Amino acid sequence: MKKRVAVIVPAYNEENTIGSVVRRIQALGEGYDAIVVNDDSSDLTFSIAHQEGATVIDLPCNLGIGGAVQTGFLYALRNGYDACVQVDGDGQHPTEKIPYLLKTLFEEDLDIVIGSRFIEKTGYDISFMRRIGIGIISLFLKIFTGISVKDSTSGFRAINARAARLFANNYPQDYPEPESLIFAHKYGFKIKEVPTEMTNRLHGISSITPVKSGYYMIKVLLAMFIDLFKKV
Amino acid sequence: MLRMQIFVGLISLAFFILTFEFIRKKILREEYAILWLLTSLFIAILSLWPQMVPLISKITGFYYITALLLVVTIFLIALLMHFSIVISKIKDVNKELIQRHGLLELRIRQMEQKTALLKEN
Repeated sequence: MKKRVAVIVPAYNEENTIGSVVRRIQALGEGYDAIVVNDDSSDLTFSIAHQEGATVIDLPCNLGIGGAVQTGFLYALRNGYDACVQVDGDGQHPTEKIPYLLKTLFEEDLDIVIGSRFIEKTGYDISFMRRIGIGIISLFLKIFTGISVKDSTSGFRAINARAARLFANNYPQDYPEPESLIFAHKYGFKIKEVPTEMTNRLHGISSITPVKSGYYMIKVLLAMFIDLFKKV
Repeated sequence: MLRMQIFVGLISLAFFILTFEFIRKKILREEYAILWLLTSLFIAILSLWPQMVPLISKITGFYYITALLLVVTIFLIALLMHFSIVISKIKDVNKELIQRHGLLELRIRQMEQKTALLKEN
């Protein structure tokens, strides 16, 4: 039986890129549904995604990436999808690699597959400082949970229905990518990282600017540390 | 002494009336109002029975105004902590409502599309 996959695209003011992201998801063929979660954008994100034929969940207030992605999980759960893939709305994730993530997920019976920028040398230009930051977060994960993930902040991931069910119920809101890995560890999920190339953002600016990255690091590590003690 | 008692009594009365008015106008929920009513009651007792202060000093060993300030500060910190917890809870509930709202709107849109298609055929 053909698996049904919800490709969740959290989008906040991504009118320049959302259309092409949706089209690229639709190009993957049958079984892949583009689920755009419009996080109260003030631009045309909603109407463009809607016109392109995506299923669009229009949030009335801004929830941030964690809350938006979680809404996608809720939708997938209620509509009986076999897996979810998270793809950023800015177009930097290689959508053509989605089938590869899912193949790994199903064939190796995993709960989470992360599309990583670091396993193989790719053309992705990532700043030195950010590389160090991600390295520290990964080291933290390794020490406290034993999980070996190089690209701990990658938002390009596939999860199975079991993980979607638990994340729909309980998902970190502040720094969901690294924090959700701590949750995953607590749930006993099987995680694997696979290489993917990513392109630099086409439009707009990343939510993490270099100036803020130091402060961001401290906040992320603190949030992750607290997560270690959280009841799940 | 008497003048101070009247002054403190007036404060407690004003506090009580204010709290009562807030409950009546539904600005304040009863569950929080109890705290403020008790506070006004405490101030009222203080005005009617000022000997309570030296008594408390004797029992607790707080003889200085700074010590009293500390007690008040602890009370306020505890109150702020309580409010933080309440805000966190409200934020959680709010998040869930926003999510469900989005999902419901989507369902309505899908149903409208379906009925529009049925009408056409």
